[in-house]
Amino acid sequence: MTAGTAAGMPLTLNDLPMPEHRDTAWRILHDHGRLIELDNGFAATRLDIVEAVMKNPEVFSSKEAFDSLGSPVPLVPIAFDPPEQTRYRRILQPFFSPRAIRPLEPELRRQVIELIEPIAERGECDFIADLSGKFPIQVFLTLFGLPLDMRDQFIVWKDAILEMSDASSAGVPEASEDGMRKAGELFMYLSDLVRHRRGAAGEDILSQLLRAEGDDELTDNEAVGLCFLFILAGLDTVMDALGFGMERLAGDPACRQEIVDNPAIIPAAIEELVRLDPPAPFVPRVTTREVVVDGQVLPKGTRVTSLLAVANRDGDERTDPYGISFTRGDNPHVSFGIGVHRCLGSHLARLEMRIVYEEWHRRIPVYRIADGSTPRVKWPRGTVGLQSLHLVIGQ
Amino acid sequence: MKVSIDRDTCTGHGLCYLTAPRVFSDDDEGYGRVLGDGEVSAGDADDALRAAANCPERAVTASG
Repeated sequence: MTAGTAAGMPLTLNDLPMPEHRDTAWRILHDHGRLIELDNGFAATRLDIVEAVMKNPEVFSSKEAFDSLGSPVPLVPIAFDPPEQTRYRRILQPFFSPRAIRPLEPELRRQVIELIEPIAERGECDFIADLSGKFPIQVFLTLFGLPLDMRDQFIVWKDAILEMSDASSAGVPEASEDGMRKAGELFMYLSDLVRHRRGAAGEDILSQLLRAEGDDELTDNEAVGLCFLFILAGLDTVMDALGFGMERLAGDPACRQEIVDNPAIIPAAIEELVRLDPPAPFVPRVTTREVVVDGQVLPKGTRVTSLLAVANRDGDERTDPYGISFTRGDNPHVSFGIGVHRCLGSHLARLEMRIVYEEWHRRIPVYRIADGSTPRVKWPRGTVGLQSLHLVIGQ
Repeated sequence: MKVSIDRDTCTGHGLCYLTAPRVFSDDDEGYGRVLGDGEVSAGDADDALRAAANCPERAVTASG
């Protein structure tokens, strides 16, 4: 161990070997201790501490934890605590339940097939650019009743906002000017959209949300904040989870064959792949008062980050936590978060991933990572994912 | 075997009704609910135990 990783010394996330060796990075964090000093705060590496933090929003608040995401409007509802958060949650949850999203499946499947067929014909692809970067945006456009030909414009807007939030969290304000302009464009587009959809009869999610009355009525600002959140939380996360999953499958022919031979195992495979690679592995909170966590006194205002990928590898909770197995009977993981902020889109994300894994392996049972290419994680940033994943079809 | 779901703890992950669809179902908002009176047949007991173990919120109890 180098001096920087000696137990007890504060760690810096940016020093970790995340780009090419993320499993090692998670292991370094795990081996450093149960509650470790990380950057300008503390981080929980064990499931019991993560549960204690994420299930106690009164003490571990989300309100100041998301300042660096660069949104011009408050991010409804992730940057709120109960009781405001409870209201947003109650309004939104019915639209993202399994029952609500099930009717979308045929249309989403059609779109996935349309994306996969040219790849199968071509014999190679960048999975991120050609499939996992496109499909979740199409899902968003479909849910919001927007034309699919807006996809590439949304990719530009979304990337600009995410780059801006990375730049601002890295303290490089000038790097975010272009991002600011594009975020402004997106803000204007969404504000216009909200105005047009209010009072409209559409069956898309936004029109339905804007029809809510009484306590559930959303202001324009709240509705735009929600749209921003769907874009920030729902697009790159699915892209990144799929990219990581396909990277692991490309490198593990036995696991891949299990999926090809028995597609019914795909839901279990998704849980295992998401356990290993949560795309949003750093969940921030800020303490609202002095609190003792795992024997340490943390003053009010302390940043406490839950490290989900590390908690998912907690050796007290499962055997071979760094290995991959689709036949773990019990596989509880916290990749979608726990407590009141549990990922609202988890059912939609699972549906998207299931359709992609099913339709891909039906058409492309054998594939590998292209010679000479090394998938790398975009780093440093708050959500993690592969920059590209060049796959070659066949042996 | 008897199963129950703590409604105050459930946040709607949905893993119970994915894991043991003969024992649990979903409501309109995606929260889990127990089918019938919560009495589990011997044939479904393994699934029920797995559902309890898989609940990230530890909201599912299976015992007896």
